[in-house]
Amino acid sequence: MTQKVKSKFQLPENLRPVIGASIFFVVMLVSFIASSPVVFLDVGIYTAIFLSLPLFTIVGLGLVFITVSGEIDLSFPSIIALSGLSFALTLEHTHLNFALAVLAALATGAACGALNGWLVSKLGLSSLITTLGMNFALIGLTNILNKGEVRTFTEMDGTLYRRLIVGAWGPIPAQMFWSLGIAVIMGLIFHRHKFGIHIHVAGDNPEAGRAMGINIERTKTLAFIIVGLCSATTAIIAIFLNSTYFATMGEGYLLPTLAAVFVGGTAVTGGRGTIGGLVIGAATVVFIQTGVVAAGLDGYWTSLGFGLVIVLSLLGHRRFSGRLTK
Amino acid sequence: MAKEPLVKLVNVSKSFGRVYALEDVNLEFYPGEIVSLVGDNGAGKSTLTKIIAGTEKPDSGSEIYFGGELVKSWNAAKARDRGIETVHQNRALSEQQSIYANVFLGREITNKLGFVKRKEEIAQTETLMRKIGYTSKVWTPSSSVNKLSGGERQGVAISRAILFQSQLVMLDEPTTAMALSEAGEVMEFIRNLKREGKSVIFISHNPWDAHAVADRFVIMDRGKVVFDGPKGDMTADQFVSHLHNFAKK
Repeated sequence: MTQKVKSKFQLPENLRPVIGASIFFVVMLVSFIASSPVVFLDVGIYTAIFLSLPLFTIVGLGLVFITVSGEIDLSFPSIIALSGLSFALTLEHTHLNFALAVLAALATGAACGALNGWLVSKLGLSSLITTLGMNFALIGLTNILNKGEVRTFTEMDGTLYRRLIVGAWGPIPAQMFWSLGIAVIMGLIFHRHKFGIHIHVAGDNPEAGRAMGINIERTKTLAFIIVGLCSATTAIIAIFLNSTYFATMGEGYLLPTLAAVFVGGTAVTGGRGTIGGLVIGAATVVFIQTGVVAAGLDGYWTSLGFGLVIVLSLLGHRRFSGRLTK
Repeated sequence: MAKEPLVKLVNVSKSFGRVYALEDVNLEFYPGEIVSLVGDNGAGKSTLTKIIAGTEKPDSGSEIYFGGELVKSWNAAKARDRGIETVHQNRALSEQQSIYANVFLGREITNKLGFVKRKEEIAQTETLMRKIGYTSKVWTPSSSVNKLSGGERQGVAISRAILFQSQLVMLDEPTTAMALSEAGEVMEFIRNLKREGKSVIFISHNPWDAHAVADRFVIMDRGKVVFDGPKGDMTADQFVSHLHNFAKK
């Protein structure tokens, strides 16, 4: 077989979305600094960003798994609310038994994910519509159980657990380190573990996976469970951060997190995505949320910023990675 | 043949609603023989191979024996564990994944925690591709499958089929849409499999290809086996006219 040799240097394919998203992020950062150097050359703005960035990053990590597996999960805002309620109720009933509360929240998240997985993988329902429905159902269940209460945990302040999870480690909040640690572990699983490979194959060519003996339905169900676990982790950190539980805590995650996933170069059609891209994508989204206000612009500009960033980043990925987002 | 059959199908049927894709198929496949499975479109050839590969479930009452033992709840993982590998008509490749990931799909070389030993997989893929004559200066085992030509993709599917000490390799229309030289390589590869003592089920629409490599012919028509016999002294022309006789019935 004779073939022409291409001498042109080519980037490894799984690095392209990360580099594309990074370039986009740097351009945006430079624009912000140029527009308001006093604000954006100060540490304070970055500390503010680091407070909320981990929340979007962690839930976004789960979404990368499910999106690359060829499905979508729109129920995660309500899973955040319901697993957060599990955490809060367990704290109340066990006089701040944090370990038990964490387990309760994670179990709730995993159960919601398993239910989504069962509906989509076993019954063959559309994940888009099923999880949209589940988003309504789960927030309804949360409100029924919570009865409109706001649950505060001021006694949590100053505890070792709180310091460990959301305390300040220098100018950087502890949750930044936790989220990066989770991202590294999930990145290793996503890119280096056989389960990660099966996730990719489930989204790219599930028939090929089945022919090779891979249980695609189980793989997708596990991806839904991962979304549930990530949502629960976000809920736990958010409650530690605010020392308060309220049933609307999941609102405001849906569109920014999805934006982070796609800005990070995950293909909407499944089969391709990177954890590094998601981290950069989440940073971009949170930076816009915080940066727009910090730059002295009206909050309404945030939506315009999101829209532009999503469309421009998709164009960038298309150009940079060829058929990535087609 | 006095040997114990490697795979034995007893009363294997497959229906889709009221239509039978396979009806009471009884067949035996022996070690070290090449069986050419031929028949018109809709004869049931692909359904039969999918059932042997475990990707399609037969109707209840069907029995599949491997090495003389009845295997219950036959599936793709059980088939592959027993050394049955398939080069599917659609190649069953994940195009966005690397060549080596596809070769080891479902059989990844991992450490105890399930993390893939990439260097080992890449090295084995390289050796394999060289062995069957698929090498390139353009791609490496880490390149995505979507960068490859049709023949090269078939090479990946074939590499996968021979990697795991397979005992029975099924090739479903492996030369479709291939250049002549590439098709010739596949035919030579099939003969090599026999030399290595493996069994082969070769499905082809091309009766001359089917005749060239076969030890035995199985002709199917509308879900049934209508002929099962050795090649013997049958010439290619005799085989083709034999096929035409069945087609006319």
